[in-house]
Amino acid sequence: MSLKSVLAVALGIMSAIGGFVDIGDLVFNTQAGATFGFQLLWVVVVGVVGIIVYSEMCGRVSAVSERPVFDLVRERAGFGSALATLIASEIVNLMTCAAEVGGVAICFQLLSGLPYRLLIPLAVLLLVVTSWVLPFRWLERLFGYLGLGLLVFAVAAIKLNPDWNQVAHGFVPGSHSGGSLMVYLYFVVGLLGAAMTPYEVYFYSSGAVEDRWGIKDLRLNNVTAIIGYALGGFLSFALMIVAAVLFLPRGIDPAFLGTPALAAQHTLGQVGLLLALVGILFAVGGAAVETSFAGAYNLAQFFGWRWGKKERPADAPRFTLAWLAIFALALLVVMTGYDPVKLTEYSVIFSVVALPLTYLPILLVANDRTYMGEHANGRLANVLGCFYFAVIMAIAIAAIPLMLLTNGGQG
Amino acid sequence: MLVLALVVVLAAACGGQGTLGAKALGEQSKAVQSLAAEGALLAQDSADGKSTDIFRREHSNELSAAASKTRASLASATTKPSLESERRELTALAAKVGADLKRLASASEAEQRTLAKALDEAAHQSERIGESLA
Repeated sequence: MSLKSVLAVALGIMSAIGGFVDIGDLVFNTQAGATFGFQLLWVVVVGVVGIIVYSEMCGRVSAVSERPVFDLVRERAGFGSALATLIASEIVNLMTCAAEVGGVAICFQLLSGLPYRLLIPLAVLLLVVTSWVLPFRWLERLFGYLGLGLLVFAVAAIKLNPDWNQVAHGFVPGSHSGGSLMVYLYFVVGLLGAAMTPYEVYFYSSGAVEDRWGIKDLRLNNVTAIIGYALGGFLSFALMIVAAVLFLPRGIDPAFLGTPALAAQHTLGQVGLLLALVGILFAVGGAAVETSFAGAYNLAQFFGWRWGKKERPADAPRFTLAWLAIFALALLVVMTGYDPVKLTEYSVIFSVVALPLTYLPILLVANDRTYMGEHANGRLANVLGCFYFAVIMAIAIAAIPLMLLTNGGQG
Repeated sequence: MLVLALVVVLAAACGGQGTLGAKALGEQSKAVQSLAAEGALLAQDSADGKSTDIFRREHSNELSAAASKTRASLASATTKPSLESERRELTALAAKVGADLKRLASASEAEQRTLAKALDEAAHQSERIGESLA
């Protein structure tokens, strides 16, 4: 693979680090490991394959039609359905963006010692300036590659020397111990929701258009989706394993963003701690940028505005105003003092409810030969797409009742 | 369905503290155990030179604030007479854990070791209270 190709895979890495491993995954994966040990590792595999299947479809649709998915959703699904999808995705985007912004401020606090409330506007300012100044490709590279600091958790997982037999058993769904069935199912839903968050596919699809993908890039699309999200899944395994080994026996419930960093510190000292905090900072920061852009992409594509980071802000003023407004609203939400980790839990569960609205139109468009011609879904993509849509429907129906029955996973 | 979800989320977020049964008290004991155990780990790592001063200070302050919240919640709650002694014991324990975590923020290396032991003992004590409630 050439250097150019390696850099091109950055889109997938950013989606994986900033999308797959965002504050939702940090919270749900460590809490799942601290509650059920290795027993929920299989859910990460299911989630990773699901997001690969749908991201590949999104990238293929964008590469073939040279139009982003939301644009086609409105055309294919009609105004009413597309409006419902738009409203749901914007609410989820805003909640997620607010949680990520809070996460960035917490990381700054843990690194600098400055007051959290002072760091919230500073975090938003830095994210806005970075998003404004850097071209799309450099945004991908900055957040994607510095987010790789999270690999410290993989090293920590190995150093903690878990019982690898038990780890292997965790990849096989089966009976569970350590908590009630309802709590177990709540974490299954939360982990799948965190893995398949809607903004990931919208950002991925619009990013493909920003990167000017065409039919010649279909192979790059496969590689990007598979490598990027597989890497995200690998990091999720690592987070769950360190939580299972370090937190579960001590009865620690990782309710803070600093708690996962504690695992890196315990195994690798100050270097591990700093790498973990920097990795979390860029993963969460990347996700904040992704959610604000995904929100602006959706609005612009729904209303037919000119859009894209490739455009000068003056040439795409409504698109630019939209992502700035999402950051501003996120700032207001976080400034209320609401705990970003709690907000994350709610945003993940809420996004699960909205999943069918996101994924059904993608499946329909990717299967439509009018748009896709010979590049429409093959048998494998359709079987997997339909299977995952059934899974999405099931978890969307179960999400709210499970959250209520388990008091947000508390039992 | 989305509106219903949002309403439910808001309702859950605004939930208050009422009368505590054995199960709810058990959850509070788990919360105290978690904060104490996490504090013990942080204190021990700090004493071993594995942490930074800033991280220790900021994270222990955050844990301390959470312990204070738990203490306040326990102190203002009512419970059945048969569970009253456990509630009082947990309230006192949460207060002690909160105070220890606050001290950890600016503790010397020797104090960090002492606090690691104290917090570890508090975690075990809370676990025992939780087991007695099960």
